[in-house]
Amino acid sequence: MSGEGRGAAGTAAAAVVGVALVAAAAAILVIAARGAPAPTTLQERVRAVAVGLRCPVCQDLSVADSPAPLAQAMRAKIATELQAGTPPSAIRQQFVHAYGSWILMAPPRHGLSLVVWILPLALALAGCALAVVAIRRWTRDRPGAAQPGAAPAENLPGRPDAPDELSSSDRRLLERAVAASGAWEEPE
Amino acid sequence: MSDASSEATARHPTRLGGRSAAAVWIPVGIVVLIVALLAALFAFGLGRNPTVVQPVDLGKMAPGFQLARLDGTGTVSLGSMRGQVVVLNFWASWCADCIVENKALQAVFDRYRDQGVQFVGVSFEDQSGTARGFAKQMGMHWPLASDPGTTTAIDYGVTGVPETFVISPDGHIVAKTIGPVTYPELSEQIANAIPGGA
Repeated sequence: MSGEGRGAAGTAAAAVVGVALVAAAAAILVIAARGAPAPTTLQERVRAVAVGLRCPVCQDLSVADSPAPLAQAMRAKIATELQAGTPPSAIRQQFVHAYGSWILMAPPRHGLSLVVWILPLALALAGCALAVVAIRRWTRDRPGAAQPGAAPAENLPGRPDAPDELSSSDRRLLERAVAASGAWEEPE
Repeated sequence: MSDASSEATARHPTRLGGRSAAAVWIPVGIVVLIVALLAALFAFGLGRNPTVVQPVDLGKMAPGFQLARLDGTGTVSLGSMRGQVVVLNFWASWCADCIVENKALQAVFDRYRDQGVQFVGVSFEDQSGTARGFAKQMGMHWPLASDPGTTTAIDYGVTGVPETFVISPDGHIVAKTIGPVTYPELSEQIANAIPGGA
């Protein structure tokens, strides 16, 4: 395989990996964007609101998942508000008004809290870019990686399948060294 | 060096020799920046107490309420006390800290009862009979109310008992104490809430 051929193979491999990474990221984003199916019953609607609120008397439990009396009271309040026609966003805002944004299970998407939303995405993109660059370099710098069927020990100079990355002067030096050692005779 | 060997060197540069300084230092700089950012966030997090709940913003309007009195003699409403300083105390018979703070509450009540300061006690997650017995035993002589569904406590962002709010005559929350109050602290909060001081 020529040097250009290996370069093309490396580029193709990097392109395949890049496309695969982009496809995986797109699939994750699509699944995340679809989210859970829209709640229909009152119980499901209460849970949809409560799951985003932190139980104030628990350790890392949402109002939806906590058996604490205060969490039960909060679920009852959510149900009352929903039955009165209050939109879920307004109900969440009521709790934020009473307890502060601390009550939300997910940090708000503004101010310093924005960092925790942006940083993972930025790191993931940087990781993908790094992977593509690294794979391109590996496939370009390592001829063996681009020739999985080749056996370097048999690719001696002068043979038709010898790698061509040796310059003519290097090839002559190698031929002289091999001839001097007597380990191999010139085929012609 | 011959042309051929120069060509070989150009086609197969060494890793270090073939890279520019920018190609080496930019990734290193990015990694250092990320590590420094994470270290700063970690240090910031270590300096915070995770058990401390962010208090409600003081100065906001106190949520209104109208609650049935524990003794069954009518209701208690915030609206009827507009124009006066209100001390709103959430308590429970099962709450040890409520026993601890009772003496201070009594003393502050005795000091300010004739100065137009209204005290209201709201029982939190308690049974009416048990709460009444506790109030009688503790000598709580101010209006006491039950809070069915804990709705008023939730409106005030209560996370436990005791919690005590001081509400200004114009209806704004001007002080909040999580845990047992002390005589000096509550007295100062009330004095600050009274127009012109006291």
